[in-house]
Amino acid sequence: MSVSVLKLNGSPFQLRGLVTRLYSTRKGEVSTSDPQKDNIRRYLYPPNIRNKATPTGTWRPDVARALQRAIPSVQAHETIQRAWLLHQRHIRKKRDAELQRKFNCMRQAMQELEEIDSRLFREANKQEDPRARSLVEVEALKSMSEPEKRAVESRVRGLFPRELRIPTDTPPKNGWPHEWRAFQRPLA
Amino acid sequence: MFSRTVLSSCKRASKACLFRRLATEASAAPEVAQVDAALSKKTTRPNLHTGVILNRSPIITRTPTAFEKAYYAYQSRIHRALHNPFPYDFYFKQGSPLEARFDIEERRRERKAFGAPFGMQTGETSEAEKLAEATMRDEEEAMPRVHEADINSDFKNLHRRGQRNLYLLLQKQENGMAVWKFPQGSVDRGELLHHAATRGLEVECGNNMDTWIVSRNPIGVFHPPSPASRGGAEEDVVFFYKAHIMAGQVRPNRTHAQDFAWLTKGEIKTRVDEDYWLGIKDMLSDF
Repeated sequence: MSVSVLKLNGSPFQLRGLVTRLYSTRKGEVSTSDPQKDNIRRYLYPPNIRNKATPTGTWRPDVARALQRAIPSVQAHETIQRAWLLHQRHIRKKRDAELQRKFNCMRQAMQELEEIDSRLFREANKQEDPRARSLVEVEALKSMSEPEKRAVESRVRGLFPRELRIPTDTPPKNGWPHEWRAFQRPLA
Repeated sequence: MFSRTVLSSCKRASKACLFRRLATEASAAPEVAQVDAALSKKTTRPNLHTGVILNRSPIITRTPTAFEKAYYAYQSRIHRALHNPFPYDFYFKQGSPLEARFDIEERRRERKAFGAPFGMQTGETSEAEKLAEATMRDEEEAMPRVHEADINSDFKNLHRRGQRNLYLLLQKQENGMAVWKFPQGSVDRGELLHHAATRGLEVECGNNMDTWIVSRNPIGVFHPPSPASRGGAEEDVVFFYKAHIMAGQVRPNRTHAQDFAWLTKGEIKTRVDEDYWLGIKDMLSDF
């Protein structure tokens, strides 16, 4: 039984009774009806094109020139990195100091509260259960309209409200929301 | 003697309890008076008040410093030089205007990162590219980061100083003087402190704001100097609570406050009394 290892036209070589389909040649490429899948397959299993660099896992063609433009020298790069780390350290220390001051204020307040009134202290230390509903709230919910009920239920105790906006690079088009209907939330 | 042990064992004991214990002692009379005075100093509760530090969080991100900007540009140049080639075919359809637009923007970024020989156009502008250039010209501009409230120094405006944390200060009349303070209210009997804080804020500033008190814990305590007329016995204690404003605006109650302002930490320092400043400065955010 002769086994042809490599055919001249480069198609997949055939072992006895076994055809291995390689996706590494254009001729052997399986084309499905979905072009997107074909695209993905082409990027995952790139064809062995000898005259071009493979599309995955490699540099851009002018990488040496680009890198020369980007990095001035080894010493300069190291100096820049050290300066950046030092800058980050300063920022971190400042932030930690500010948090420490705020925490000390809180601790002082709780200490004094404990000395003044133990009941208020206990209540202040209670963990908020997001699923709990106080009696006051349940009573108030009975006599509310649907939008008001939704407003009360959407503000979950112990969690950050949804309306707290994250800072963006530019302000919103509509600016600050000044129109807000006065709504009495039942005290929890 | 006997009185010292009694005091150490029951610090918060009532006067009646003490009298019962000392009734058997014949020589208790002069000590009872002393113990009485000591106990009354400890058990008179100071008047509780709650203040609210209402914070408008930053709306826009901080402007990076010159060094930070330069470093970010440097790092992105290095990334651009070293990253894998971008799979254009996967993300853009061949010959589409979106691809043309991306090409234009990408060439611009190349030129900006490395200089002139990089990012030059090969060949002539195609139809799609001309279309893309036209759409880019007509595009809307983003909102400016500086608001007119910054230019006019409108302290009531909530758009002012978008990068900073702003805090609400009210101008109140105290002993004929106008002082700037955080909103403050007293605590009723049996009322919890964070409930008193919400109530006090609503009374002084109106309920046209969507506010959120962060937690049940106070963030700080302040002892205002007690006025001489009341004598040294009665004390005032103010517990501060942090709150955020998310919508609406302050409408101050005329009987409580004449004026309001949204100020940064540095601006608060210039307006507020010195001992008040020393009491509150550590609770506020620096930026």
